[in-house]
Amino acid sequence: MRVLDYEIPDKLYYSKEHEWVRVEGEEAVVGITDYAQKQLHEIVYAEVQKVGASVEQFQTMGTVESVKSVSDIFSPVSGTITRVNEELAKSPELLNQDPYGRGWLARINLADFDKDLKKLMTAQQYADYIRGMEE
Amino acid sequence: MSTTLKRTHLYEFHRQTAKMTEFAGFEMPIWYKGIIPEHMAVRNSVGIFDITHMGRTLITGAESEAFLNYVTTNDVAALTPLSAHYSNMCNEQGGIKDDFVLSRLEKEKFLIVYNAANRAEDYEWLVENSKRFNVRVEDVSDNIAMFAVQGPNAQKTLQKIADSDLSKIERFKCGWTKLAGLEGFVSRTGYTGEDGFEVFVWNTPLANPVDAVKVWNAILEAGKEFGIEPCGLGARDTLRLEAGMCLYGNDIDETTTPLEAGLGFVVKLKKEVFIGKEALTKQKTEGIKRKRIGLMMLGKDIPRPQHEVWKNGEKIGNVTSGTFSPLLERGIAMAYAPVEHAVEGNKVEVKVRDKFAEAQVVKFPFYDTTKYGYARQK
Repeated sequence: MRVLDYEIPDKLYYSKEHEWVRVEGEEAVVGITDYAQKQLHEIVYAEVQKVGASVEQFQTMGTVESVKSVSDIFSPVSGTITRVNEELAKSPELLNQDPYGRGWLARINLADFDKDLKKLMTAQQYADYIRGMEE
Repeated sequence: MSTTLKRTHLYEFHRQTAKMTEFAGFEMPIWYKGIIPEHMAVRNSVGIFDITHMGRTLITGAESEAFLNYVTTNDVAALTPLSAHYSNMCNEQGGIKDDFVLSRLEKEKFLIVYNAANRAEDYEWLVENSKRFNVRVEDVSDNIAMFAVQGPNAQKTLQKIADSDLSKIERFKCGWTKLAGLEGFVSRTGYTGEDGFEVFVWNTPLANPVDAVKVWNAILEAGKEFGIEPCGLGARDTLRLEAGMCLYGNDIDETTTPLEAGLGFVVKLKKEVFIGKEALTKQKTEGIKRKRIGLMMLGKDIPRPQHEVWKNGEKIGNVTSGTFSPLLERGIAMAYAPVEHAVEGNKVEVKVRDKFAEAQVVKFPFYDTTKYGYARQK
């Protein structure tokens, strides 16, 4: 769905820190939302922890930088990183251009998604959350 | 945003077209289209900035030259009417109170343009130190709008709406001209490293922004054929950093002296008397211990203010300004380092988060001056 100026795909889950989660079997693909990339604007650097690193839900898993600002990325789920998007090192602007596609950040082998899910939002809930923030 | 923030004449334009930020008590645009395209417009063609938030004070009277020679570090006697120079005001210890551009409008009339963040303090400092001189110090900040039109096509853009020949105004000279039919003053100065002008729309109080808006719109219209971009404070900062220019509060303040900051060229120790002379003379004689340096990152990491600078496993200084350079597409920074390390080509490390990232000491400006900046080969 589209809310205000922001794309919010229906089948993903969302965190309050504006990360998204797409579950694929035992793993999840994670990234930052359209809202996040529009707020950050002109992303010029992205770094995610290495493959094999274990991450906890809502703990720092990386950093994105725009020309003027530095922001932490918080993992929306707990687990172990199995892949990171190597393309972002060379083309961090993919985070702006295609946040739900080629701008994905990492694949994470899920530790306990049922537990994580309790603290995530559906697309509808996230849309309401964004509306509330913009007011 | 708090309603107590000050606004410039162009507030409505900014609000409708830019992402806004708070800066020095003003509600200002940080970017319109984006820092990178705005930055590149200035390097490659032309951009316009609203810099009305800066402080503007007129100094008039028989002893205005003597007073300014006393309160600033540069040689005001050498400034001919309709000329400008960059200068500093220091405290008695030689610490920098502010940096600014001083223009001599007439023999006994000067305009000083200083940092927005220091508006109140600078004005008080000027008034306080003017007491034993026959001068008048008048804050005209709220009655003059100020824009910077910067880039290799700045002159061509402005000429379309100016009634005097701008090609006759050389770098660091100034002059009166009608702009879009209104009374204006221009100086060939700026904070980007590029050729360009700072434009003053005279007698345009904040309460009646019509004239300021008219000139702003006329410049945008005139610059259309050159792809002019309105530029926010974001590009203003990346441009000045690439040019190696200091930002007060980051790279210079009362704990740094002009000699340490590499601004010795505006300190005229031969002058009979000026505030800070004794301390600066002593420092010059003894030699400075640390120096402002430029750092170019060798990898992809972006240095930021407060990051530590290391050499051979030892901390040697801190980054004072750091950013991603839109032109060079890598991280650049300013820092202070002991003079023995402040050598061009010296490899150091910047601690970016938990990583020691390689950097090299480089000279200012960061870019190739044959290709960019006011002295570029045409």
